[in-house]
Amino acid sequence: MFSKILIANRGEIALRILRACRRMGITSVVAYSEADRESRAVQLADEAVCVGPAESRRSYLSAPAILSAALVSGCDAIHPGYGFLSEDDTFAEMTRAHGLAFIGPPPEVLERFASKAGTRTLLAKHGLPTIPGSGMLRDDAHALAEADRIGYPALIKPSAGGGGKGMRMVRSPRELQQAMTICRSEALSAFGDDSLYLEKWLEENRHVEVQVIVDRFGHGVHVGERDCSVQRRHQKIVEEAPSPALDDGRREALAEAAISAVVTAGYENVGTLEFLLDRDGNYYFIEINNRIQVEHPVTEMLSGLDFVVEQIRIAAGEPLGYSQPDVLLRGHAIEFRINAEDTEHDFRPQAGTITGYLPPGGPGVRMDSHLYAGYEVPPYYDSLLGKLIVWGPDRAAAIARSRQALDELIVEGVVTNLPLHRALLAHSTFLDGEFTTNLLDRVGSGAFLAAARAA
Amino acid sequence: MTDSHDSDDNDRRTIARLADDVVPTLIERLVHSELGELEVREDGWRIRLRRPVGPADDGASVSLADAAATRVSRASDAADRSRPTEQRPRAADRPARPERPRDLLTAVAVGYFTPRDGVTAGAAIRRGDVIGFVDVLGVRQEVVSPLDGVLRELDVEPGQAVEYGQPLGRVESSA
Repeated sequence: MFSKILIANRGEIALRILRACRRMGITSVVAYSEADRESRAVQLADEAVCVGPAESRRSYLSAPAILSAALVSGCDAIHPGYGFLSEDDTFAEMTRAHGLAFIGPPPEVLERFASKAGTRTLLAKHGLPTIPGSGMLRDDAHALAEADRIGYPALIKPSAGGGGKGMRMVRSPRELQQAMTICRSEALSAFGDDSLYLEKWLEENRHVEVQVIVDRFGHGVHVGERDCSVQRRHQKIVEEAPSPALDDGRREALAEAAISAVVTAGYENVGTLEFLLDRDGNYYFIEINNRIQVEHPVTEMLSGLDFVVEQIRIAAGEPLGYSQPDVLLRGHAIEFRINAEDTEHDFRPQAGTITGYLPPGGPGVRMDSHLYAGYEVPPYYDSLLGKLIVWGPDRAAAIARSRQALDELIVEGVVTNLPLHRALLAHSTFLDGEFTTNLLDRVGSGAFLAAARAA
Repeated sequence: MTDSHDSDDNDRRTIARLADDVVPTLIERLVHSELGELEVREDGWRIRLRRPVGPADDGASVSLADAAATRVSRASDAADRSRPTEQRPRAADRPARPERPRDLLTAVAVGYFTPRDGVTAGAAIRRGDVIGFVDVLGVRQEVVSPLDGVLRELDVEPGQAVEYGQPLGRVESSA
């Protein structure tokens, strides 16, 4: 097992990893940018090393800075968290070349699954249905030709990353040409790679993803699915498990197909396979996330597993130590992403000082957040302030507890998206489990907020 | 999608072209740069050249960059020898530094600091003079004086690990 891990991330996930390290008796070193000097993770860390200025390209995204920090602090492994360098196979390889372990899939596995287009082809061979799509787009002319072949509407997606950045739905060649430039520059600034591909756009779909864990010896389990259909501009807002859109038979079939495909394709460590689910219950594989996900706690609430501990164990070469029948999923869990954004003004990101913070409590309530009163939310990074995760024995109970928890939660000093969460829990589409991924964009979140105010 | 024969042929042609045109240019650039690694992506292919930085490095990518290896591997050897385990930056002695005074020398990166030969306390220096280097994975990054003046004590020992922005010393202005 590792003795000292460098945490190459910030915000709530840096804290999450730090807690896992502490539980395992591993010394933690937090790598931070100048903008995060006063962060909770830096305060709680055993050691902390400043790696660069606020600009993430020169700090959290700088492979040399992160590696150098790990070497000078005597770490034997690096946990990249999510985003930043977490799915960068070059970084994983550099990490190994310097004699350190990368906590995630090994570089050659990351490389195999790095390209989304390549991964779809690979997993299609292993039995997963995929959405019609293109290979890597060479230029605008190639994009136009591919879009003609696939048909409009089409979705432009970046090959290198996730999280909705660099993604646009286009309905015509004109829209495609306009969006390509924007997507390229968004993808370049978010992931350092501007390669894009196209995917057929399904008008009404749900986003369902399967959590998997595979050890170095080819033993793997799935830990059920999550439904992340509540999205705004391809950014997940609320996630829940199990999916209200699947019956037990389909649920089992989807999860079995996912785990068997990734095990035979040679995946390793913790990962998530994302699918779109159409109205008729057909599922299509869209991409794999080779890292811990923001919404992993939803499945932790159902399974009792600690996915960060599992990541660390597997990266250290330990065998999984359990098999599918040992994985028991109980009850229902919902996660609400608490973001510093102004829902009344086009979700504009907010920065500023947190003047008051009180997390909710009670049975089945978990708050993963790096906030404290006096903390200054820097303007340089994403707007995630924390995640409220609520468990109940069934969906109705989880929703009832969620309402209470959202009412208790106090975040003062910056505007948050809490009103939208409360509005969602008052809306019949969510309560009936009927959400589709483009609903918020189509109807407009303003309509949800207005309906909640009127009620 | 083209069929596999076509794409095999295309791949071969592309590889041949990249090997003839791009790789020699990259080797040339790497040799004459301070960079540790160069990567380009073209036509869906990726070419990466990396300087050897340690014994764990793999041979395949090193062989291409052998010509570039000598100078920098010496620098990283030096860093290895002087790597002081007891001098790692700790959370406890992180500098509190909301305002950075103009006369302060700070580390430009996280790594191992080495003063330039001949630079000691009391030396007269000019703005832009190189005071020392921070070794980041075998690549030296220059620490330069912010103004004309006299170097006061250096706060860090040669070979000491430093973090980004860490104060290294002060320059007393001659103005």
